[in-house]
Amino acid sequence: MISGFETALGEITLVLFTTLAPTGALAVLCMGLPLIFGSATDRDIARLNKYLCIPLVVSMVGLIASATHLGNPANALYVFASIGTSPLSNEVFAAVLFLASTGLYWLYSFSEKAHRTLLRIWFIVISFTAIAFVVSVGFAYSSRTIISWHMWQAPVAVMCNALVGGPLLTLMSYACAGCQLLNKRKGVQLLVVSVGAFLVNAIVYVLQIRDVFELSNSMASVSELVPLYWWALFAFVVLVGAALVLAWNMIKRLPADPHEEAIVVASRSNMTLIVGLCVATILCLAGIFIMRFCFYMSHITVGLGV
Amino acid sequence: MAQLAFYFDGTRCTGCKTCVFACKDKNNLDTGIAYRKVFEYTGGQTTKDENGCCTTSCFSYYTSVSCNHCDKPICMANCPQGAISKDDETGLMSVDEELCIGCGTCVQACPYGAPKVNAEAQKAVRCDGCADLVAAGEKPACVMACPARALKFGEVDQMSALGERGNVAPLPDPAETEPNYFMTATADSKKFDSTDGEIANPLEVE
Repeated sequence: MISGFETALGEITLVLFTTLAPTGALAVLCMGLPLIFGSATDRDIARLNKYLCIPLVVSMVGLIASATHLGNPANALYVFASIGTSPLSNEVFAAVLFLASTGLYWLYSFSEKAHRTLLRIWFIVISFTAIAFVVSVGFAYSSRTIISWHMWQAPVAVMCNALVGGPLLTLMSYACAGCQLLNKRKGVQLLVVSVGAFLVNAIVYVLQIRDVFELSNSMASVSELVPLYWWALFAFVVLVGAALVLAWNMIKRLPADPHEEAIVVASRSNMTLIVGLCVATILCLAGIFIMRFCFYMSHITVGLGV
Repeated sequence: MAQLAFYFDGTRCTGCKTCVFACKDKNNLDTGIAYRKVFEYTGGQTTKDENGCCTTSCFSYYTSVSCNHCDKPICMANCPQGAISKDDETGLMSVDEELCIGCGTCVQACPYGAPKVNAEAQKAVRCDGCADLVAAGEKPACVMACPARALKFGEVDQMSALGERGNVAPLPDPAETEPNYFMTATADSKKFDSTDGEIANPLEVE
């Protein structure tokens, strides 16, 4: 019989992609903010640039995972033929723009004569591509005939996922970089974004599950395909909640820094901070993964497709 | 040549599924993939009153359906590769195997479940209206094979004159993709949005 679990398992690479890539993209954006707004020293910028590889790798792992479900990736360039008409083409195009611009930036940042103004302008461009990428991932599932996906909650949930996970991944990357920028005030700012997005995300999921549970076609109903949807939401709340509490416990140890760049608070020797934020990020991604898995389980069309 | 279309006469179909196997034979399809499906939609109940008199609301009817070569093909609109095309002359849909990467987006979007992904080749495959036979002046294999003459194939003006756009359960609302699939429904048939019955042969049509 029709099984939502098998559907999602068949698309596991896409579940991974939509879990990792938006979070990575938002973390890239967050890591560039000190450069864009000129609040960082050259030393900090150099460290941030170096450790930009962490969110970049998270994004790329997601994209590579998604590419493995394609029969013939050699044809992937044809995807540009349908930009503007196909939501999936828009998504892939935005992903290519984001990853190419970020990857090239990262390589250029190692240049001994890297021009700070150029880096700043470049990062502004990257920020726009990151936003476009996250939005396009959200709308890639917007197909009128897929009734369980064609609802406002689907893209909003993806954007919230990015806003929940992105700041945590940024904090972890800051800690790994051991730069002066990571102080209690900045930590709290990032955590507030994450907590706010988490609350909105949880509400959006409640509204989404409430709406999709009523949907059915002749082949199946969403309540049959995803019988544990509410329990999955419970797991999401527990995992992400635990991640945020853990992150707060890490951040509150940091000294406050009223003068922006006064104190070196994180260093490579501060493994507790790094490990704690790493665990928090993984817990958060695990929560997002569960909800993305359920999203794929819930696929039904207006007619005969499941 | 104008847009080509299928016509299905539900009052003639006996549910024998010869159309399904003629299609599989013509296209050399292995187990697990069929371009044409016959849905058996069944519902109702029989009750007995205190006098022992039985009354029934039971119904059951068949609907044979494949790719409907729609006027608004959502598979084509969503394909990221631009690999799906609609023939300018005949309106028949086809997949360019060179371009297709087997991502399954067309499978997800089609409300008729018409495209499939061939797991071995990792390419999308589908009914192409037997374009080769049609070009040779013949009819699609399913139409030629139907022993009850319940299927017809021809220009959309002729087919639409025979019946209405497919609008019975378990088919979706025809307004979604405007299928070039016209039909004469049985007396027992239910409207597309009906929940009175269920598909009685899910393993055959999944």
